[in-house]
Amino acid sequence: MNTKVKQIFKLTLVAVIILFAANLISGSVDIQGVAEEQLSADNPWFGTAEKEYKPGKMETEEDVLHSRINWAIIVFVLLMTFILANVFDIGKYTARITGRETVNQNNVNRWLMLIFMIVGIIAVAWEYVYHGELILLNDSSSEHGFAYDSMFVITLVLTTIVFIVTQFLLFWFSFKYAHSEDRKALYYAHNNRLEVFWTIIPAIVLTLLILRGHQTWKSIVYARDNYKGKMHHVEIFAYQFGWKARYAGEDGILGNADYKFISGKNELGLAYEPEVDSLLAELKVRIQQDQTAIDTLDRTLKVLERNYKNAEGLRDYTNMESIRKDISAVKNGEMKDELEASIKRKVKQVQRIEAIKKDKAIFASTFTSAAMDDIITQEIHLAKDSLVTFDFRSKDIIHSAWLPHFRVQMNVVPGMPTKFTFRPTKTTAEAKKENGEEFEYYLYCNKICGSSHFNMKIKVVIESQSEVNAWLAKQQPAFIKKKMEAVPTIQTVDSTQMMQKDTTKTLALK
Amino acid sequence: MSTEIIKDTHAVEHHDSHGHDHHHHESFIRKYIFSTDHKMISKQFLITGIIMGCLGMGMSLLFRLQLAWPDESFPLIESLLGKWGKDGKIDPNYYMALVTIHGTIMVFYVLTAGLSGTFSNLLIPLQCGSRDMASPFMNMLSYWFFFISSVVLMSSFFVETGPASSGWTVYPPLSALEKAMPGSGLGTTLWLFAIILFIVSALLGGINYITTVLNMRTKGMSMSRLPLTIWAFLLTAILGLLSFPVLLGAGLLLLFDRSFGTSFYLSDIHLNGIGALSNSGGSPVLYQHLFWFLGHPEVYIILMPALGISSEVISTNARKPIFGYSAMVISLLGISFLSFIVWGHHMFITGMNPFLGTMFMYVTLIIAVPSAVKTFNYLATLWKGNIRFTPAMLFAIGLVSFFISGGLTGIYLGNAALDIQMHDSYFVVAHFHLVMGSSAIFGMFAGIYHWYPKMFGRMMNKTLGSLHFWLTFISAYLVFFPMHFMGLAGVPRRYYQFSLIPEFGIWMDVNILITVAALLGGVAQLLFLYNFFNSIWRGERATRNPWHSNTLEWSTDVKHIHGNWPGEIPTVYRGPHEYSRPDRELDYFPQYEKGNGEPDYYHAPSPADTSYDGKKEKASTVFFSSFAYLFMKRAKVRA
Ligand code: HEM
Ligand SMILES: [Cu+2]
Ligand SMILES: [Cu+2]
Repeated sequence: MNTKVKQIFKLTLVAVIILFAANLISGSVDIQGVAEEQLSADNPWFGTAEKEYKPGKMETEEDVLHSRINWAIIVFVLLMTFILANVFDIGKYTARITGRETVNQNNVNRWLMLIFMIVGIIAVAWEYVYHGELILLNDSSSEHGFAYDSMFVITLVLTTIVFIVTQFLLFWFSFKYAHSEDRKALYYAHNNRLEVFWTIIPAIVLTLLILRGHQTWKSIVYARDNYKGKMHHVEIFAYQFGWKARYAGEDGILGNADYKFISGKNELGLAYEPEVDSLLAELKVRIQQDQTAIDTLDRTLKVLERNYKNAEGLRDYTNMESIRKDISAVKNGEMKDELEASIKRKVKQVQRIEAIKKDKAIFASTFTSAAMDDIITQEIHLAKDSLVTFDFRSKDIIHSAWLPHFRVQMNVVPGMPTKFTFRPTKTTAEAKKENGEEFEYYLYCNKICGSSHFNMKIKVVIESQSEVNAWLAKQQPAFIKKKMEAVPTIQTVDSTQMMQKDTTKTLALK
Repeated sequence: MSTEIIKDTHAVEHHDSHGHDHHHHESFIRKYIFSTDHKMISKQFLITGIIMGCLGMGMSLLFRLQLAWPDESFPLIESLLGKWGKDGKIDPNYYMALVTIHGTIMVFYVLTAGLSGTFSNLLIPLQCGSRDMASPFMNMLSYWFFFISSVVLMSSFFVETGPASSGWTVYPPLSALEKAMPGSGLGTTLWLFAIILFIVSALLGGINYITTVLNMRTKGMSMSRLPLTIWAFLLTAILGLLSFPVLLGAGLLLLFDRSFGTSFYLSDIHLNGIGALSNSGGSPVLYQHLFWFLGHPEVYIILMPALGISSEVISTNARKPIFGYSAMVISLLGISFLSFIVWGHHMFITGMNPFLGTMFMYVTLIIAVPSAVKTFNYLATLWKGNIRFTPAMLFAIGLVSFFISGGLTGIYLGNAALDIQMHDSYFVVAHFHLVMGSSAIFGMFAGIYHWYPKMFGRMMNKTLGSLHFWLTFISAYLVFFPMHFMGLAGVPRRYYQFSLIPEFGIWMDVNILITVAALLGGVAQLLFLYNFFNSIWRGERATRNPWHSNTLEWSTDVKHIHGNWPGEIPTVYRGPHEYSRPDRELDYFPQYEKGNGEPDYYHAPSPADTSYDGKKEKASTVFFSSFAYLFMKRAKVRA
């Protein structure tokens, strides 16, 4: 008895300690110190409560009803499972009384295996027909897409056969060889010949698939290298959360661009000297501002505190909350750290830009005249039947450009230029005829990149070359319009800092 | 069914008469909390795994609600998530957080620690015949690191900016830059700490498993007599030991990038509201190489224990030797080796050199060969068996079915050309949920139902078990099969909602079907939970060898004792799968039973194989033993 009391005591102690620890942990990880609120009764189980006051939000009767219904459903489900579970438990007791199983479960399961197989195979067939309609197959809008689709179909046919045969055998054997008292299983531990057979056959089939896959892959990824003619280049620029396309201007050359040159007026960071100079000036001013802000933090704190009092008087809770955050950031030094980091960043940026400007060779190869007439657009227009290369560039993090109708996908990686070359073969108008008037081609983002990842797309239009030209002519060049004199730049000096190394040399869409 | 062998009951009585009181002095804490007994640690892993599994599944149900009814308002979501669930809709950032933590929990916490931790701990000493793990203390640490890691991971839900939300792969720069998304703040730091603790746990466990298997087998337990479960656990542990440190490295570098201004993964970045960053010269793709160097072996770390368990369960319940024991082991070895050189198939379209893509495609598709061999061997084991549909057997059959369905789609994704289009689409979600998610979860369920009597001394309810199986099986196929078609139609994964893209409108009813099926699956798990916890106290008492199995763990008493066997550890006389031998009356022949001079293996020619002879058997024994010998110079077979 004594030991039992002791145990209970220990158990309680442990529980208290765990609760305490949990409390501590949840408290200490919370940077804003709102742990108490989170743990109180009418706050969420997990997730963070909003501390701000929400006078506008009133629970309507409907809300209350909704929430009641929700909880009722949950309770109902729990109750039903409990009852169901107990009903099935009864079988155990009857079995215990009568000494044998009430239902021959083995038999039931055996038949269920057969039924599952039949229904399953029918369902799969139905899926193939019904949803198979909707998949992108044999309607490729690019040239290599047909090679892709045929590779896909070969794999589909082979795997479907294997799928049906093996699943059939699995469930059929389960059905056929279910337990029976008057039979003994066949002792059959191995058969080397059989095993070699079913090692070799998959090996052969896979070798064929590999070879065929290799061919398809090569034909897609080396299309650029094998092509001798003139290639159109379009730069696809990705940022949180959107896409831009950049076409060469009249000179036919895509100019240089660099993340260091990005500014409000120069969204893509084109190497256009006047704009870069004004960025430099702006950076210097901002550095000064940040420095001043650091020097006057004391005063800022006072102002913030005064504002807080005012807001309190006005009962402006949202404002109070944000001011409170600022105050604590000033007090615990976060604000200062942040400002200092910001200065450091900008100083570095200025240094790097100035280094480019100082070195004559780098300067000449960077600030060519090619960039200023480049055209930046919100849509991608491509000419039917002509080979195009996308040069991908990311402003911030990894994105992925996916054009499912063209069987095209490539990651867009900051600091690493990637490319994809393909030949569109179906105009938007033709595609609309097949798929309905609302149909449009899109390029989707397909690499998780933040809160609006699901809404990051850009329209793609395929039309004739002359239509593309007409459309381009209507677009504004990024900076000034420049008269022809395409000077192919020669890059001799180290230019690792520059992203668009080779695009400068390539002729771009005219 | 037939009666227990008499030998068993003797042993039970024998033990009852003298052994008991020694073990009552253990304090509660030593016994249940800081236990060093592998059986208790295994239960701790299991229960923690189940709890994490419930959380992971709950999250998937929440975000499935969002996907199916994007415009509906669920007060439940608001009351659960607070500011992240305003107006009963999940915030897009929080959607990503849920997906991320769901993936992390399922992959690492449930199917690595929960599966491997539970069954390696339970079965390695019991099936190899040793008193405990090589280092019981390290074993205990392994659990506690895992536990703390789980707490740290879950604590990120209480952070103001929310948990990590850049996907379970946590790719930088998104995960490296605090300002890139809310979850990349403190949430990601906690995620990284949790994973580091987790890796420590996995390494402590892994070293222990390997050492125990190689050095602490009982007399007569040669490598070629090891149950396939042990082979699977051994190779899993080796994979983990070789690949987890790489993830540790990747994680540490990411922490440096986040906190100390290094640029391992960062270069050329201009972030909204911040401006150009100073980081220069790093490569985000480097992280992907490091991550997937673990990531790919990881999927086999998940899958192989499940395959081992199902081999054991299928052989026992089909009452047949597993077909092609050597082929099964060799294919496990092949898979293990190959899994280290295929990581690049996750990166075909990152812009890496196309030639590398070719190489990775070659080796990836070759993995399909050992996988196919395993499948065919399972089928051959069922052929002419005498199948008892215990819940464990049902789940093992389910595993094979998922392994086929999911494995076949791997042939698409391993093909670099086809991956151009399929990468990161719902096709991938379907693929890995079938082959890694469902398959491994079913292996775990098979293991739980099969070894429950060993763990808790009671039986789980069979009828509920069958019901659980059928509901889960049907729901899993309904959830994941249609996703293939969505992916092929161009639906990207990790999208918070599709209503802004009219093209995907046609999938709305499929999305609803999937969510309803997932809810059904959720309810089925409630049955399991009820059955599991109810049976601990109220289940029928287990007999010593309820499944009439051959392996060594069934020679121990139902009641757990430290050291496993009261007297001497039994000697092993034969392989683990001698079921239905024609020269025996009973349809099983335990490894630990001396018998009356019967040969180790039944040597009569099998019907289809006239070339059968004992020499080959010897040859394979030599092969495996020498393998083990090479692997650790001191393969001490205690014979
Ligand atoms: C209850 C059953 C489950 C359901 C309904 C479910 C559903 C889903 C869905 C719909 C996604 C994709 C979300 C998106 O891309 O937006 C997902 C992601 C994922 N799931 Fe599950 N899942 C389940 C069980 C599992 C299991 C057993 C595993 C174990 C391997 C698992 C591992 C993952 C992983 C690794 C991801 C990827 C997370 C990411 O994208 O970062 N899930 N799940
Ligand atoms: Cu994105
Ligand atoms: Cu992989």
